[in-house]
Amino acid sequence: MDQMKVSTAAVRASGLSRQYGATKALDNVDLTLERGITGLLGPNGAGKTTLLSILATVNEPDAGQVSVFGLDPRDGAERVEIRRRLGYLPQELGYHRHFTVAGFLDYIAILKEITDRRRRADEVARVLAAIGLESRARTRIRALSGGMRQRLGIAQSLLGEPELLILDEPTAGLDPEQRLRFRELLSDLPVDPVIVLSTHQADDIAAICPKVVVLLQGQVRFSGTPAELAATAASRVWAADERDPRAHLSWRGGDSRWRHVGDQPPDGAEFVQPTVEDGYLLLSHAAGQR
Amino acid sequence: MTITARRQAQRPARRPAPRLATVLDIARVEARLLVRSGLVLAGLVAGGVVIWLFIHPVEPLWWNVAWEIGEGQLVLAMAVLVAAQLAAGRASRDGLADLYASFPASAGTRALGQLAGLAGAIPASLVLIGASAGAVELIGAIGTPAITVLAGGLLLVIAAGAAGIAIGTRFAHPLAGVLGALALFGISSQSGRFSGAVIWLLPWEFHQDDLGFIPGPLTGYPPAGAHATELAAFAVLAAIVALAVTVRAVRARAGLATAGIAAVALIGLAGAVQLRPIPTAALNHLVTESANPASAQRCTTASQVRYCLYPGFGSLLPSWQAPVNGVLAHVPARPGHTLTVSQVGTTSLDSTLTHGHPKRQVARWDAELGRAPAIVRPGSAIYLPVGSWPAFGGQLADARFNLALAAADWATGIPITSSNGPECVPFDQAREAIAIWLAILAAHPRASELQAGLPAHGIGAGPDIHGTIVPIWNFRGAVAGQVDPFGSIPLTTEAGYLLAHAMTSLPEQKVANVLKDGWSRWINVRTTDAQLAAALGIPMPKVPVPPTALVRRLIANQGPNIEVCGSG
Repeated sequence: MDQMKVSTAAVRASGLSRQYGATKALDNVDLTLERGITGLLGPNGAGKTTLLSILATVNEPDAGQVSVFGLDPRDGAERVEIRRRLGYLPQELGYHRHFTVAGFLDYIAILKEITDRRRRADEVARVLAAIGLESRARTRIRALSGGMRQRLGIAQSLLGEPELLILDEPTAGLDPEQRLRFRELLSDLPVDPVIVLSTHQADDIAAICPKVVVLLQGQVRFSGTPAELAATAASRVWAADERDPRAHLSWRGGDSRWRHVGDQPPDGAEFVQPTVEDGYLLLSHAAGQR
Repeated sequence: MTITARRQAQRPARRPAPRLATVLDIARVEARLLVRSGLVLAGLVAGGVVIWLFIHPVEPLWWNVAWEIGEGQLVLAMAVLVAAQLAAGRASRDGLADLYASFPASAGTRALGQLAGLAGAIPASLVLIGASAGAVELIGAIGTPAITVLAGGLLLVIAAGAAGIAIGTRFAHPLAGVLGALALFGISSQSGRFSGAVIWLLPWEFHQDDLGFIPGPLTGYPPAGAHATELAAFAVLAAIVALAVTVRAVRARAGLATAGIAAVALIGLAGAVQLRPIPTAALNHLVTESANPASAQRCTTASQVRYCLYPGFGSLLPSWQAPVNGVLAHVPARPGHTLTVSQVGTTSLDSTLTHGHPKRQVARWDAELGRAPAIVRPGSAIYLPVGSWPAFGGQLADARFNLALAAADWATGIPITSSNGPECVPFDQAREAIAIWLAILAAHPRASELQAGLPAHGIGAGPDIHGTIVPIWNFRGAVAGQVDPFGSIPLTTEAGYLLAHAMTSLPEQKVANVLKDGWSRWINVRTTDAQLAAALGIPMPKVPVPPTALVRRLIANQGPNIEVCGSG
């Protein structure tokens, strides 16, 4: 049965380690990704971007192995095959500012080996419609707002209907409506790709990710459903009229009452329903990474 | 097995996209960007301006102009180099390196596409060639276009683009391309420091000027075919460097290394061919046709004036005849001896031409050229060097006036030939003013051009004639060198010009009658300006005398003595 699980995982990483100088970015990471959306949570410097860049075949691990759709990125031909099935949005994406929106997407589509001109045009039109930039097709990128550029970055990752979609902080810079549209976009993808997205927005994870992975100090500290992550905070989130110094973190909500997250709730505490964010905060605190 | 797993297992692996198709797609985009590049457009315009500056002053000779068009291509090549470097470094410079690294099209494929995209520079180069060739033909080119040389200019642009990509794949900063372009210009512009055939090894030879004075193309020279081969091999070598930076596979690198060695070998071979001496027979022919023009020139006689031109230069004849005939139409009586207007070929062979030939042979050629009529000046002739007759505009007007003045000097007996002797000045000789007046009537120079020959501050300098400084009238066009390249035409005095100018304010017929009545007297060497002025009934124009201190300084500083002109 275990053997079956291993063989059906679309993406599998085992024992991944990566070090930059004295800093361990990844430390013996094991990970399996199935079709559907996996959210990757972690503070800055936790190794999320390094992990995603290795999965995207841009970086190589110092140790460990990666298998994507059964293909080994260490092999040149198989690496190319992985890339043909990949859509990638790096965390800090630049742009050819003098290109038009459509021109940029067309160029990226060429680099994704979409060589049929009509199919390429259709693909560019499709992703432009998906991110709501059809009317900006002829606009130079330098004239776009930051949010529009981020949407353009998402659009390029969708070209070619990738089977593996790696999105590093895709909602950074998006306004609330655009974030909701982004959720809708991922839900409406025509194929059923493996999607892994890193974000600081726990509510994004809760809303669209059937699976969440928490990465802390280069190690996977949690892997499960958002509900399971929230459940780890059960009986450790409480409400009170006054601030409780025993809590790791406290804030006053819209109803003027204090919401506390901590390992030592007072006796008779008024427990409230924990969220993904609460679970993540407690994990993070436990790892000493607040 | 889950549904997802089954679907994954059933999904066939995508067929590998043909790499060539991706390369061609990239090439198409890059070519389009290059075609629309403001930088390339600026290079095209600047190249056109450079070519125009080179070709417009004189009647263009194709065997020379083709290289000058290449000098404009060098400017375009610099722009293409910068544009190509910017394109090659674009991903890295714009923060897209990680994204690009995730694509199936490798850096090598992108580099190949960008190299193929250099086709986008071809239209600009062809436009430059076409426009220049059109302008050259419109001006009135002599000879036939040298296709190999023109193609060499195109290859120069492509090679520079390949070099730009090689630079850009390694150095993304825009300054790298600018430095590359400056290096290209620096190497080419330093050709004046080299002697011999080495200059042809440079990307483009910038200082050659011997081609502009030879009366026809030299067989196999310059070595255009070998130079084009050298440029093509350089383009291949630069492309190999660009690919070597991006390609990882050992086999591919080995292939590139082999191709690189072949390209270097081809460059060496092309270089060796370019360094070969010009065949002795070709130089013998050049020396013969220059030293003994009669063996090559075709002479025609019209209105008792003999015009001798090298084959192919016949189109210049009307432009020469007009000012000469204009003078002759106003001369009451011609001298007994015939006037000859003749072209002069090259009068010396520089080291670029004689490279590789024994010194004794070179000395023989020099000696033979030293006996050329233009040097020995055996008779009454006006010599016009090949490649110096202006094509149009103000310089052509100047040249026509110069030719008219030389013809008028001949008509009035002022010596226009002297056997390597010092130049003379027709000081206080009425025939000088008459000659200038005749030239003005024949060539109709602009009054401002004539006035510009007067001293700037009213007090002119000139030669010391028997202890007197004779202010000189320096007609601006006289320095252009169209008439007589050897500096032994007579000087013109300020007094002579002022008197001629005063004559032009009189009715032409009145002056003509006065001259006709006593022509032999007026062209006599002893007849003075004052006598002519008196006969015409006009006051003798006053010429400001330089202050004593200035006179002393001018006398102390002047060169060899200049004689008063005698009989022609």
